[in-house]
Amino acid sequence: MLEFIVRRLFQGILVVFGVTATVFVVTRLVGDPVALMLPLSATEAQRAAFAQQIGLDQPIVTQFLRFVGDIATLDFGNSLWQRRPAIEVVFERLPNTLLLIAAGLGAAVMLSIPLGAVSALRPGGLVDRLTMSVGLLGLAMPQFWLGLVAIVIFAVTLKWLPTSGMGTAAHLVLPALTLSLTPLARFTMMVRASMIDELNKPYVKTARAKGLGLTRILRVHTLRNILVPFLSISGWELISTLSGYTVVVETVFAWPGLGLTAVQAIQRGDLFLMQAIVFVIAFLIVLIGIVLDILSKAVDPRMELN
Amino acid sequence: MNSRILGLAAGLAVLFASTLSTSASWAQSITVAIGSEPSTLDPQLRDDGGERQVNDNIYEALMARTATGELVPGLAAEAPTQVDARTWQFKLREGIKFHNGEPFNADAVVASVQRVIDPANSSEQMAYLGPLSGAEKIDERTVRIITSAPDPILPARMYWLKMIPAGYSKDAAIAEKPVGTGPYRFGNWDRGNSITLTVNPDYWGGEPQIDEVAYRFVTEAGTRLSGLMAGEFDVIVNLLPEFAGSVPQAKSVSGLDTSVIILGVDNPAVKDVRVRRALNMAIDRGSLAESLFAGNAKVTKGQLVLPGAFGYNDGLESWPYDPAGAKKLIEEAGATGTTINLVGEAGRWLKDRELIEAVAAYWTEVGLKVNVEILEFSVYLDRIFDMGNRPDSYFVLNSNELFDADREMAFAYEPGQGGASNSDKALGEAIRAARSEVDVEKRKAAYAAITKKLHEEAYDVPLLNHQDIYGMSERMEWQPRVDAKIIVKEMKVNE
Repeated sequence: MLEFIVRRLFQGILVVFGVTATVFVVTRLVGDPVALMLPLSATEAQRAAFAQQIGLDQPIVTQFLRFVGDIATLDFGNSLWQRRPAIEVVFERLPNTLLLIAAGLGAAVMLSIPLGAVSALRPGGLVDRLTMSVGLLGLAMPQFWLGLVAIVIFAVTLKWLPTSGMGTAAHLVLPALTLSLTPLARFTMMVRASMIDELNKPYVKTARAKGLGLTRILRVHTLRNILVPFLSISGWELISTLSGYTVVVETVFAWPGLGLTAVQAIQRGDLFLMQAIVFVIAFLIVLIGIVLDILSKAVDPRMELN
Repeated sequence: MNSRILGLAAGLAVLFASTLSTSASWAQSITVAIGSEPSTLDPQLRDDGGERQVNDNIYEALMARTATGELVPGLAAEAPTQVDARTWQFKLREGIKFHNGEPFNADAVVASVQRVIDPANSSEQMAYLGPLSGAEKIDERTVRIITSAPDPILPARMYWLKMIPAGYSKDAAIAEKPVGTGPYRFGNWDRGNSITLTVNPDYWGGEPQIDEVAYRFVTEAGTRLSGLMAGEFDVIVNLLPEFAGSVPQAKSVSGLDTSVIILGVDNPAVKDVRVRRALNMAIDRGSLAESLFAGNAKVTKGQLVLPGAFGYNDGLESWPYDPAGAKKLIEEAGATGTTINLVGEAGRWLKDRELIEAVAAYWTEVGLKVNVEILEFSVYLDRIFDMGNRPDSYFVLNSNELFDADREMAFAYEPGQGGASNSDKALGEAIRAARSEVDVEKRKAAYAAITKKLHEEAYDVPLLNHQDIYGMSERMEWQPRVDAKIIVKEMKVNE
């Protein structure tokens, strides 16, 4: 087990480094970050002076060597946009994003298991058809649009919840629900399909013939069997959420998380902040992968860790 | 005993009455939704609209502008006098204190100037401050500002440079806890979420009506609109024109931005002046203003220079919409079927893609082929600043924060500078001469000649003067300013 963790961590470091290096190169090849930062009317001389001050006048190889040296000490330089250490900005915004993900994905997990199970027990029944329709809708609707519709209904018209921002628990409800719908739909469909599969297997028939109640069969045997595929799909959703959905949802709801910060860093050509964000996100994704493998092994001891 | 009760009752009555009579001045607080969070609250480093929107209420400058754009003394007691071509002398107002108790005096001005020009601070605002090179204290209330080259627009630049306290200017806390002389004091910054300011009861210009203002940072225009409709916000910026009719109050005011297409006059495709005139005549600007901006934009008067800016040429006329005439000119020039490339971006400015595509369609109608290149913004910037390879034409939204024609000249027309697309040496000479001409009338005449030439030779295709649109709640009373500043002391709440 320990050997596995060490090996995966080592691979992970290579992945994180590769991703960060790619970002480093791409941001410098695509467009001039100095032009993005200064007003359009800045003169050629002013742009040159600014490039020199932030070290962008050096050859890209020199910049890269310095970058690698700094990264080893977790020094990502100062955010050009906020004029303070980039990593400080990341650590300030990351907890907000994690809170949003915990609420959104948590809700999706909690709701999907009962919904999927009930649908599977009576495929084609009312609950099943209702769940599937809503699920398809959840998969088909862009979160951006969904978020705006939710704001109009629940905040503007009904005035139950605030439109945007962060503060009270009420502020969390709409963004978390918006974030949860796509994963909820995917989870529910997955639970339903696996359950239908499992319920048709001989062991369930045997158990029922022996007189075991359905609830007990579900709880003790079936659910446990679908836990492994469930874990891997939820890991996938967690990664998609972390690296994508939050960007959209945070922008719509003005939620001060890392996704919104990433958008702003890109708009302002803030190379150093972008590098720090990508590094941290890549690191988290690697970590999630390792934790998922370990969890799967714990659930299903037959699994080989490699 | 009785008399004491009576006295008490009378006292209570007076108290009650006084409460009633002052009910209009009960603590008033408003919420303003701006488009982005300030990057820092240091007023001197970044070129950042979010930072300005907040700090414009905390800090002040030597010069100020009225709501209609007129340059007037701010912290200066009167308009500055010119000592020589490179030196301006300012008299300062007396008795003004910063929020931390430090006096506003010549030392504060010197410290403010020295800090912003210090290369170690790499201030992006130097783009607005031009040849500013130093400041010198004459006495407590008199200071001289020095430039490295003659600079007739220095007074306008001093409207941009915010004054900071001499002692506090060395404290790193200035980035988070701003201290100015303005009508509002810094309250609290909840990072990512909001900033609150409270009224400065000792403000030298009189206490404003609104006691507290909270800024919320909402990037998404639809979310700002929702917040206004839900009653959470009192003022929102950049209301989309199509929603102007559906909010409690919408006010638009002429803004700082002008859309234009700069022509690469040396390129074969648009070398012939007849073709360049035709490109102008082919476009129905009035219907663009109506259909894309619901009337919240005005047709340019034959020039890029911002109306109201120094050097704006009143004598020029808008280009007529004359597709038949345009077609004829193109035929005369033998240019029918010529391909013109039009470089632009999408999403940076309101309705940019729509404007670019509409222009391309108009040009196609008069017999040209248009190759539209919509680029990612940073690639677009590389392209328009690439002096070795000028596009036949490119779209840009020019902003003139200093209300002086030199802004447009330096960006769009001075050969080899900014995004200029010509190699006209005489034009470059004329622009540089006007830049350092200190005689006001001569300078005005110089810009009149330059703008006339640019118009006649059709070096560009000026499109629209864009307006800023604000959404407001029912209870707000405010007339937005032409300089796009959101000055809370000018607002009132009716309740």
